[in-house]
Amino acid sequence: MKNEITLQTRREFLRRTVLGSSLAWTVPAFLANTFSALQAEAADSAIQTATGRDANILVVLQMAGGNDGINTVVPFANDFYHKARPTIGLKAAEVLKLNDAVGLHGAMKGFKSLYDVGQLSVIQGVGYPNPNRSHFRSTEIWQTASDSDRVEKNGWIGRYFDNACSGGDPAVGVTIGSQLPQAFFATKPKGIVFNNPQNYRFMANGAATEESYKKLNELEMSAPQPDDNSGGSIGMLPAGMPMTGGRAVDFISRTALDAQHSSDEVRAIAARVQNRAEYPASQLGGSLKMVAKLIGGGLPTRIYYVSQGGYDTHTNQLGSQQRLLGDLADSVKAFTDDLKAQGNMGRVLVMTFSEFGRRVSENANGGTDHGAAAPMFVIGEKVKAGLLGQYPSLAPQDLYQGDVKYNVDFRSVYAGVLENWLKTKSAPILGRQFAPLTVV
Amino acid sequence: MLTPLSSKSWDYAKAAHLLNRAGFGGPPAEIEKLADLGPERAVAHLLDYEKISDPTPNPDWAKPNPEEIRKFREAIRNGTPEEKKQAQREEQQTIQRRMLELRGWWLQRMVRGTRPFQEKMVLFWHGHFATSMEKVRNPYYMWRQNELFRRLATGSWEQLLIDAGKDPAMLIWLDQAQSKKDHPNENFAREVMELFALGEGHYTEHDIGEAARALTGWSLDFQTQNFVYRPLIHDNGDKTIFGQIGNFDGDDFIKLIVAHPQAPKFITAKIWNFFAGQVPSPELNEQLAAVFRANGNNFKPFLRELFRSEIFYSEGIIRNQVKSPVQWLVGSVRMLECELPPTLVSWGMLRQLGQDLFAPPNVKGWDGGVTWITTNTLLTRYNDAQALVEGTLPALSAGDFAKKGTVGGGGERAMKALQRIRMGGVKVEKILTPEQRADKATIVAALEHRLFQTRLSSDQEQTLREFLDAKTKMSDADIATTVRLMMSTPEYQVT
Repeated sequence: MKNEITLQTRREFLRRTVLGSSLAWTVPAFLANTFSALQAEAADSAIQTATGRDANILVVLQMAGGNDGINTVVPFANDFYHKARPTIGLKAAEVLKLNDAVGLHGAMKGFKSLYDVGQLSVIQGVGYPNPNRSHFRSTEIWQTASDSDRVEKNGWIGRYFDNACSGGDPAVGVTIGSQLPQAFFATKPKGIVFNNPQNYRFMANGAATEESYKKLNELEMSAPQPDDNSGGSIGMLPAGMPMTGGRAVDFISRTALDAQHSSDEVRAIAARVQNRAEYPASQLGGSLKMVAKLIGGGLPTRIYYVSQGGYDTHTNQLGSQQRLLGDLADSVKAFTDDLKAQGNMGRVLVMTFSEFGRRVSENANGGTDHGAAAPMFVIGEKVKAGLLGQYPSLAPQDLYQGDVKYNVDFRSVYAGVLENWLKTKSAPILGRQFAPLTVV
Repeated sequence: MLTPLSSKSWDYAKAAHLLNRAGFGGPPAEIEKLADLGPERAVAHLLDYEKISDPTPNPDWAKPNPEEIRKFREAIRNGTPEEKKQAQREEQQTIQRRMLELRGWWLQRMVRGTRPFQEKMVLFWHGHFATSMEKVRNPYYMWRQNELFRRLATGSWEQLLIDAGKDPAMLIWLDQAQSKKDHPNENFAREVMELFALGEGHYTEHDIGEAARALTGWSLDFQTQNFVYRPLIHDNGDKTIFGQIGNFDGDDFIKLIVAHPQAPKFITAKIWNFFAGQVPSPELNEQLAAVFRANGNNFKPFLRELFRSEIFYSEGIIRNQVKSPVQWLVGSVRMLECELPPTLVSWGMLRQLGQDLFAPPNVKGWDGGVTWITTNTLLTRYNDAQALVEGTLPALSAGDFAKKGTVGGGGERAMKALQRIRMGGVKVEKILTPEQRADKATIVAALEHRLFQTRLSSDQEQTLREFLDAKTKMSDADIATTVRLMMSTPEYQVT
């Protein structure tokens, strides 16, 4: 347990770093000195944290619901495609051609323009062995990077924090939304979550109330942290499956501390930093707008997480997918424009994923049912641009239960991002060594 | 058979635990009443709710109304573009108005209803068969499903599964209404096994396909707004499900599920998790399943044993469950003996806190447990406590009421309506006697007894006393703020 971060040092860390400005109002000077001593101790051990102030940043963008990859990166010249999709198949004239065989969905002009300047990589046919067609299970597999027959509790981003950012600032991970995604579940849970920066604070009817709130949420930290060997802490447990070790109130106390210290900083940045691009008025647009502000404001975050829902297109897919992909491409394009204007684009990488693609054949309701492999997009100035991997065959004899077969394991993409972008060894995070796909 | 709790160890804290979990908590007087009854009669008092009359009237629109639907369809089909738009706008507003009413109707049942345990079970089944308004788009169907859960809350598992499957909201939610023999839709077939009754790993992809064939013919008659069996679209061929071969139909398939060895384990584990707040150990799960099966897969006798068991009152279980947003809101109102905020406010709060009734995030329902708590939702709970106790409007914005492209909508209208709302706040004379109020130490102790049924740490008690020290008068407002501060602690978020 030599590298254990105690609650005490965690609290100290919060005061010292990003959120350090809060030191003045939380503790009298003589206590601050004590904390400084503690900090000096901690500096020798585990608290050597990468911060995002100048390091690379990853933005994970979840396309929830299972995006139909075949109508996203469209094999418009393929006869099997048109046979399988007589009503929802897109014609050559409707797509943004990337070459003679495939093109992007017509709504994705923003992505096409990034592609044309060498800042978009399209990884084709991404999936995993023995694909699962349940939204929840397959999302869990992508979030935890587990094999499909093995249930993992912690998320791959959480394990990255555990391995590479030990003792780090809680703001090392930021989710825009109200729920923490399972990808963030960790032995030592980290990451802040918020929706609206204006409401992200304790509202008090006076200074005495605020002072008391801080004390009530700071002092009561005497409960020992759950021992790692006792079956784990609460945050590592999967959704809805509360703890086997440790008490719920310990987890909440830690969250309370993180909330208290991060809220001032986030609001200050939101008020100070201006966006320099026009975003769509969508939920995703709003989330990326906020992420751009936080990056511009210098939050020490390594990983941001945003999501867009609605891709479960069992019926009348054409209209809804048009709207969703248009929103996706326009929002991401605005985000890159914003970051370029800030001068930060060089250190930000956006990676999209969806829990699965959809069946090759359309269904009777003008939609598609749950399938398997699908493309991923990676966006950034330093990406290996163009089409990566191979487009999966749509020939009936090559399909497995009506689905295309994957030819890139998504964990190879994670490995590439971890090793080449976040500069850390991927094997301890992904459980074993996957051949890193060169995406940057 | 689970070891029952001995009557000797029954006390205020255990009675509170029962009321918190099997209901939504309550004021000290209610807890004391249960404490006086002893464990067996206290459990019976909550569980045998059939003996208590339920006077809540139904919303006046809660009945089939095919004429309304016919008129709307007529306007959409034959109207001018202007009439079409008008009809759509009106329909949208009617849906929003009724859904709001429905939310208030259910929340009031939880807060003031005579059968808190029955409502707790309805909440469990709503989260279990998680069906969303966002797709069903029909308040009558949503109400009807809610009533189904109430009617069959503690009855037979087989009957509940069959009736829930044939329920109009479910037929729409999981696409069963659209499934035909030449294109069977697998959605309900998959989810009923994966999420409702067996869990992953206890069926094959092949079982799903075969079950989908068995279920063909289950459909929805939009004229009568009722379930209908359509023999012409039913697949009459043999199906192989769980290795058994036969010309199964939907009812047969459900019976096969309930007879599956995994079935009692799955549902009892989920119920244990809901009430005890933890995943049962494999040994405990075996015991729970045995009790359930021995009682013919009926819930009531199983639940009686659960709430009577010693293990339900063990240390790792009491005050170790994160309150769901509904538990937080309804429980707070009950413990503080105040009014539920107007539905628009209550609904906005629940949405912000992550539990939008009638609109769960997906068919898996709310993840629950520690996932209720993020830095964001925790601060929102602290702030909503201020609204509840001090009677201020909570910080809600149009976005809290509107989701793009959904029927959550009406954000701007909601914001206007919000401006006219007056909140009640807590009446101090209801929660403190004049004697308790005389001294800051007794104030803190009485409020702890009411809000936590245990004590806070000495540091926290000290902080609260110091807060009151600085207030020379200890006015109602000062005491309300003290309550709010107590609710703004990690300890208040668990039950």
